[in-house]
Amino acid sequence: MSQMTDMRKTEEEWLRTERLPHVWCPGCGIGIVLNAFLRAVIRRNIPKEKMVVVSGIGCTGRTAGYVNVDSFHTTHGRAIPFAVGVKFARPDLNVVVFSGDGDLFAIGGNHFVNAARRNHDLLIIAVNNFTYGMTGGQHGPTTPTGAYTTTTPYGNPDRPFNIPHLAISLGAPYVARWTTYHVNQLQNSIYKALNMKGFRVIEIISQCPTVYGRRNSMRSPMSMMEYFQKNSVINNKASYEEMELTYKGKIVVGEFRNVGGIPSYEERYEEIIRRAQE
Amino acid sequence: MSQNKKFKRKATVKVLEERCKGCWYCVNYCPTKVLQVSEKMNSKGYHPPVFKENIDENVVCIGCHLCELYCPDFAIVVEELE
Amino acid sequence: MTEKHLKEGYYFWSGDVAAAEGAIAAGCRFYAGYPITPSSEVAETMALRLPQVGGKFIEMEDEIGSIAAIIGASWTGERSMTATSGPGISLMNENIGLAVMTEVPLVIVNAMRGAPSTGLPTLIGQGDLMQAKYGSHGSYEIITLYPNNIQEAFDLMFDAFNLAERYRVPVMYLLDGLLAHMYEKVYVPPREEWEKKIIRRKRAREGQLPYQPDEDMVPPMPLIGEGYNIHATGLTHDERGYPDLTPQAQEELVRRLNEKILKHERDIWKVEEYLTEDADIIVVSFGGESRAVKAGVNLARKEGIKAGMLRLITIWPFPWEYITKYSADYIVAELNYGQMYHLVREYSDNDVYQLNKMGGEIHTPEDVLKRIREVSS
Repeated sequence: MSQMTDMRKTEEEWLRTERLPHVWCPGCGIGIVLNAFLRAVIRRNIPKEKMVVVSGIGCTGRTAGYVNVDSFHTTHGRAIPFAVGVKFARPDLNVVVFSGDGDLFAIGGNHFVNAARRNHDLLIIAVNNFTYGMTGGQHGPTTPTGAYTTTTPYGNPDRPFNIPHLAISLGAPYVARWTTYHVNQLQNSIYKALNMKGFRVIEIISQCPTVYGRRNSMRSPMSMMEYFQKNSVINNKASYEEMELTYKGKIVVGEFRNVGGIPSYEERYEEIIRRAQE
Repeated sequence: MSQNKKFKRKATVKVLEERCKGCWYCVNYCPTKVLQVSEKMNSKGYHPPVFKENIDENVVCIGCHLCELYCPDFAIVVEELE
Repeated sequence: MTEKHLKEGYYFWSGDVAAAEGAIAAGCRFYAGYPITPSSEVAETMALRLPQVGGKFIEMEDEIGSIAAIIGASWTGERSMTATSGPGISLMNENIGLAVMTEVPLVIVNAMRGAPSTGLPTLIGQGDLMQAKYGSHGSYEIITLYPNNIQEAFDLMFDAFNLAERYRVPVMYLLDGLLAHMYEKVYVPPREEWEKKIIRRKRAREGQLPYQPDEDMVPPMPLIGEGYNIHATGLTHDERGYPDLTPQAQEELVRRLNEKILKHERDIWKVEEYLTEDADIIVVSFGGESRAVKAGVNLARKEGIKAGMLRLITIWPFPWEYITKYSADYIVAELNYGQMYHLVREYSDNDVYQLNKMGGEIHTPEDVLKRIREVSS
């Protein structure tokens, strides 16, 4: 059997297959991200008992329920601090926060900012579908200005977060953005980030045809994918302005930051213990 | 078994029909178009794709696994031929 | 590197310091918190002392993050704690619900201030007694303990952690503005002696599901990193931990979460009964306030009034049997508009009176005496 076929079989062991089909709508991008994530983890040969997945609330928050490792579906916005507790208590574990844009950047924004600042050794898989899907398609912190949602019926007056810019400004050592169209780049990016230390952020622009696409003339799963395909531009050296997302505009993707050698909080605390016990 | 002139047959596509939700990314992204939307419905009412090789000898799966990578529902297994 | 543990001897500590040292002695090795008066010295002590014993201290961005972090840490098997005051508890309440629902042992210190809102940050209050039990949404039981002196603030921490681990439940450890900042002498026994008091977490049998309870209704807790493939969710779940959003699953789970505590309430209860045997009037009290109450009862006895004091050390589950067992009248002395008063009334067949102060300071012994005189005449 080929490596790829093997990987697909191993993937089944990493899934709680008895819970499939999952709750996500037809064409939802979260499954594509999870698929890429599991493949990257399998390629890294990480033992299952060394992997912990923490999610918050919302559509992406359900991810923890499908991965067959120690996995936690926490409260809304609190996946990062929960993961901080796990990682700080057990630095030998790979702790991944897998959650959505509303969870990580609106209700959980303060935790994102401060955990990034402290450089906790966490991999953040941030699925950005521009909306609150689980509650019916309200506008969120990443909804592009002008977009139509159930709470912006006349178009969104807000400005969305520029997530890579935010993460880079906080000193995150690895920051990338892909869309669900970029399945291979995404998988490789996660593969690379899994082998790094510190607060690593990968934003994935994902489709929600059910409640976002339908109000913004992208009703079918394929029409959202086509939007990503046609409008994505790979530019690893993009400026912060270019990283901004606009309504139906260009989506600049790439690996925006990749620096090593910044000690993580967990590493710095080892020194604290050493000093305290001198 | 006849072979498509351009490509060599490398794999077969197995569809786990009960997991499928009918987004048809697989059908769209297959470079050699070996999948098509089937007439039949699974128990949730979705139309899973069907592997065309079984019905049309001229289509050939080249084993690129794109359908598998794009499937959000873990409903596809590409099995490479030995 | 060598770990630095407390040596046997006498120490002069505040309630905050004693609670922190008690927690470390009781095996606490993980603390996440956010500073808030009058609890901040707990954090300061933890920051200094935890790394000395190989533990971890982290100052989080807020109280919500703090409790989320200790829930995560507790899943790795560490005895975990946070400390705050009323405003912080208000922020933590959602995640207290998560810890209840996912059955995670925690100790949460609440050094109560005058409240509501920012209230009296440096001064005593006892307004968070109902919040301790009813703060989060839904119907649930947690355990709440409340010492009244600094020695007890140290000693009772063993109970707090042992109960949390024994019942897989958050334990609210109440202090107040008075106890938090008051200094008293504390005796610390030799380490071998205190370590014997530590009860370790029950471990799952081979093949036991993460939420499959034993006879005592408490499921042993699997730990992260041991290959259990735990799944925990705040959603209503089955014994595997998988979401099960049905009335049947809800009925089974929520009943068990309540009953695993209530069925063991007699094992949990701790009270101090002072001159209650022959009492005609019993003053119910707790925490800092009970120190004045005891003095007031003594004054009443000198006048020939048969007064006694029932001090609740366990606030929740409410030790109701200590109310029903007496045929005396009750005064409930508390620094709020009347909270435990309602509980005492629920269980007493006799008259129940109030002695309230809104906080900021405790009653004087003379205030207590005056009220005893009024109701016993």
